[in-house]
Amino acid sequence: MNQADVTKLVSKLRIKVPPKHRRLSCPEGPEGRLNKLRKTVTGLIKYERIELNYYRGDEARQYAERLISEAINHGDCHKPTMEMADFWLLEKELVHKLFKVLVPRFENSNSAYTRMLKAPKPAYGRYIDKAVLELRGNPYPSLQNKQTNNRQLLQNILLDAAKYDYRQAKYAEMAEKIEKSEESSSVKTTNIEHNN
Amino acid sequence: MSLVFSKSFDLFKAAKWILRKDIRSCLSSLPEKVEKTNADEDKMTRIGRRPRSQNPMLEYRHIYPEFLPDPNPNWRNSLREKLERADMLERRKQIDIPEFYVGSILAVTISDPHAQGKTNRFVGICIERKGCGLRAEFTLRNVVDHQGVEVRYELYDPTIQTIQVLRLEKRLDDKLYYLRDALPEYSTFPVDMDPEILPEGTTVPVNPVQVKLKPRPWLERWERQELKGVSNIEEHLKEKDRVRRELRKTPWEKYDLMKQYRKTVPIEDQNEIWGEVYNQLQQMRMSTKKTARKRVITAPKSQLG
Amino acid sequence: MLKTFLCNFSNNISRSFHTSQCLNEVRLLSRLRVVDNSDIGKRAMAEGKPPKIICVYNKQRVGLIGDRVLVAIKGQKKKGILVGLKQTQKTKVPKFDSNNVVLIDDNGTPLGTRIHVPIPTILRTILKERTHAKGADYTKLLGIATRFV
Repeated sequence: MNQADVTKLVSKLRIKVPPKHRRLSCPEGPEGRLNKLRKTVTGLIKYERIELNYYRGDEARQYAERLISEAINHGDCHKPTMEMADFWLLEKELVHKLFKVLVPRFENSNSAYTRMLKAPKPAYGRYIDKAVLELRGNPYPSLQNKQTNNRQLLQNILLDAAKYDYRQAKYAEMAEKIEKSEESSSVKTTNIEHNN
Repeated sequence: MSLVFSKSFDLFKAAKWILRKDIRSCLSSLPEKVEKTNADEDKMTRIGRRPRSQNPMLEYRHIYPEFLPDPNPNWRNSLREKLERADMLERRKQIDIPEFYVGSILAVTISDPHAQGKTNRFVGICIERKGCGLRAEFTLRNVVDHQGVEVRYELYDPTIQTIQVLRLEKRLDDKLYYLRDALPEYSTFPVDMDPEILPEGTTVPVNPVQVKLKPRPWLERWERQELKGVSNIEEHLKEKDRVRRELRKTPWEKYDLMKQYRKTVPIEDQNEIWGEVYNQLQQMRMSTKKTARKRVITAPKSQLG
Repeated sequence: MLKTFLCNFSNNISRSFHTSQCLNEVRLLSRLRVVDNSDIGKRAMAEGKPPKIICVYNKQRVGLIGDRVLVAIKGQKKKGILVGLKQTQKTKVPKFDSNNVVLIDDNGTPLGTRIHVPIPTILRTILKERTHAKGADYTKLLGIATRFV
């Protein structure tokens, strides 16, 4: 049983944190692992949506969340936080983006700062889980399609077309029936006339 | 039994649902202005979340670190932690467990079935505090008759009769294991030491003493641990050790945000815990202060008499 | 195939040294410190030739507090009792900076007349348990102790 380290105060992450880190097979050891993740975090802050391997994305997501929450908690006048941002963001103009764009964006949010979605896997080739990692509130169109009744969906268009065809077929049948009945009735009337 | 329970649970659910519906209907009948003010208040609280590190409850994490649970999520169990906290408070009502830190000098009296007077008192410097919950431990070290002795005590051990702080101070490091390799005078404390009383309202002083180590061999590689409380570490090093120290350095570790996160308990969880125990701990502190003041007042009277 | 083999090979290389902490166990051939004022013990310590364990009299062959040991000291075989260990102890039992031994003869009578370091109080109970009516009487050791912790 270990005692919790109380020198630093951290705010809780809104994502699921696994109990142990992933080692991300790296010949340079823990330093190389952090260098890998630095590149990913920088890319995420820069492009706001990236596609990558699932494990690396999940690790980078935790670090990005921590970085943003530190920036929100301490602001840009706190020296250790500034050093941290300087370490994690390889392109220095992104430090400004972190404190001036992302902090106001996420300051009042009650959910996680990032979103990770599973990406489709290639049909052939190496079987590796892919994921899309994005910052919330990014300018790109949404990846999730929650409106199931969207008329523009291919399935819905096809269904509409099928329904239309079915209805046309029914109408045609009904029209035929009516025609037949009319014919028969006219025949009957003529017969009656003849009888008379 | 379970059937009855589930039935009652269903009833409870239904009642809850009806209540909620009632409340909703009430709300919808209210004028719109009220809702607006509610929204405003929400905004205020959201913005007001930022300076949360100034919470006075959180300062107790230094004084009572054992109330925080183990940071490893595999070993968390909220029910056990809650029961343990209740037991710890119960024990603190029985005896006064004072505030102390690594580097403070303590005197612990335990009831010892092996001792002749059935009590055993040991004086020493606290070199480590570890463990959480009821398993919290601390280790005292002293040099008695030129022989280094260390005793490990559990903080909530029912055989402990008194814990007295003889000198309340901190040292430059979190763990003082290097006293084992230091010259014996740095860990020698007289058994009949008088308690030193700090004036009220002062912060706990940090003792800037730097110890001198004995020549090698050492128990650990102290040169690699970046110790602040050791003065003569460079004297005993060879060129080989300096090279190895450079190779073994991990300067990236202070930037590993998730490593720090996995070692601590986040603010939100801490707030929950301190909210549960803060009032009782505060009361205990106040009562101990009162008794201490009484002692201070009565002591000179007895001298006069 | 080759890759896994290389991996295993390199793993074996990197794990060829100990990374666990030292246990400080008292076992065969470990050196002790004589803490009584017996003549032979004092001379051995002064010459810088501390006694060496040649047998620990228990099943595990790892000495604990109060265990009887056979030591080689100054070319002689003597028996002794462990009165303080470096090893990590249970709570409330003191841990010492050196492994201490008090020399005794076959009847349990100490060779010296005084022990000049503190000894743990738990030794009282342990030695009383080990003493039998017709066998050796180890409690004489407690009589020559100066201080208990």
